Amino acid sequence: MKRPWLVTPTPVALALAVMLTLTGCATRPPASDREAVAEFEANNDPFEPFNRSMFAVHQAIDAAVLRPINVAYRVLPQPVRNSVSSVLNNIRTPVVLMNDMLQGNPRRAGDTLGRFVVNTTVGLGGIFDVANSYFGVPVHYEDFGQTLATFGVGEGPFLFIPILGPTNPRDLVGYGVDTAAQPLNWFGQGLAVSILSGARGGATILDNRDYFFEIVDDLNRTSLDPYAALRTARRQARAAAIANRDATGQARPN
Amino acid sequence: MPMLTRRACAALLAIAALAPAQAAVDTARATAFIQTAGDELVAAINNTSLNAAARQERVATILRRSVDVETVGRFVLGRFWRVATPAEQQEYLRLFEESLIRNLAGRFGEFQGVRFALGRSQSRTEDDALVSTIVTRPGGTAFNLDWRVAEMGGQPKIVDLIAEGTSLRLTQRSEYSSVIQRGGGQVAALLTAMRAQAGR
Repeated sequence: MKRPWLVTPTPVALALAVMLTLTGCATRPPASDREAVAEFEANNDPFEPFNRSMFAVHQAIDAAVLRPINVAYRVLPQPVRNSVSSVLNNIRTPVVLMNDMLQGNPRRAGDTLGRFVVNTTVGLGGIFDVANSYFGVPVHYEDFGQTLATFGVGEGPFLFIPILGPTNPRDLVGYGVDTAAQPLNWFGQGLAVSILSGARGGATILDNRDYFFEIVDDLNRTSLDPYAALRTARRQARAAAIANRDATGQARPN
Repeated sequence: MPMLTRRACAALLAIAALAPAQAAVDTARATAFIQTAGDELVAAINNTSLNAAARQERVATILRRSVDVETVGRFVLGRFWRVATPAEQQEYLRLFEESLIRNLAGRFGEFQGVRFALGRSQSRTEDDALVSTIVTRPGGTAFNLDWRVAEMGGQPKIVDLIAEGTSLRLTQRSEYSSVIQRGGGQVAALLTAMRAQAGR
């Protein structure tokens, strides 16, 4: 997910490094238990104790702040919320376009560019997703984490970061690059610019939270271990996004 | 870098999966089966003459008939199936069926006004076929839902659901395994958690 107004990756990496050394690591099962070892490696979560405590922090923030705001946001009818999504998608277009091209996907890049032209003009800045509704070109996402993956860069260990959610070092770097590549972050400074970009960041968090609203509720209600379920679900969904198997084009960046 | 190799493997697997393979389950048959089951499910979900509980019950009935619950359950317990005692296996399968059907029926129940369309259907392995569908909610977003279908005793049965690339049985297996490991490697710990949830 893109949070341009949040901290930059370097302090995040530093803070993570400090906190990781303060918490323990997951215990590797004995080599004799090969199935357990295989699973340990598939989970790819050596910092599990740290990640679980971060997940607990996230769950507390979500229950106290994010979910109540999301519930209030749901007073707005679906078409209005769709427009919010669509405007945010339109703003994100240059970043998606960059990654489409870096991944060597001229067709998808063409889709992205065409969508931007149509939705910015006829769609009034993306309020109406005319590109999809009239021209049948649905939105799709790409980010630099995915681009790095197509370059063959490994994801590194699983990380859970409050509010940002499940991620890994590669995708954190990708997030930083995408933030730097967003043209809106190039211009101006001062209070008005900060407020606007803060509003965009906040709206992005809310929009993503809203997309996953039922899924999050289901997970918290039905899962015997929401953390473990989220860890594997995120990795699977990410693999699908990297391989562009999320072909309906509705999959979110995270 | 080991990550690179893993990714390359995943890519190769993905490519291999696109190539048609000889299949025990006939893809046309699997597709027809999902079309029928899907139509039944959509009809039940969108039946406004029923109240929510009755709709959910109807969805549950269709699922019990179409899903091979035991195969899914054994897959989900994975390597712990062998260490479980026969009594534990039995109780596990009972609790698993209850939770799977209830959770799925609840989830499907949220999709009022849903439409579904068949996507391209591909044969995946020697044992099963993957039927892809696109699910659309009114005014909402569309998503990919793939149904893994295996031939069980001469009947096509659903053995997995894959939403936007996330497999239900893989996710569930990882979750249960985590519960068992955090419970000292005891299957009993999972059963306790499942019992507690069933009682809720």
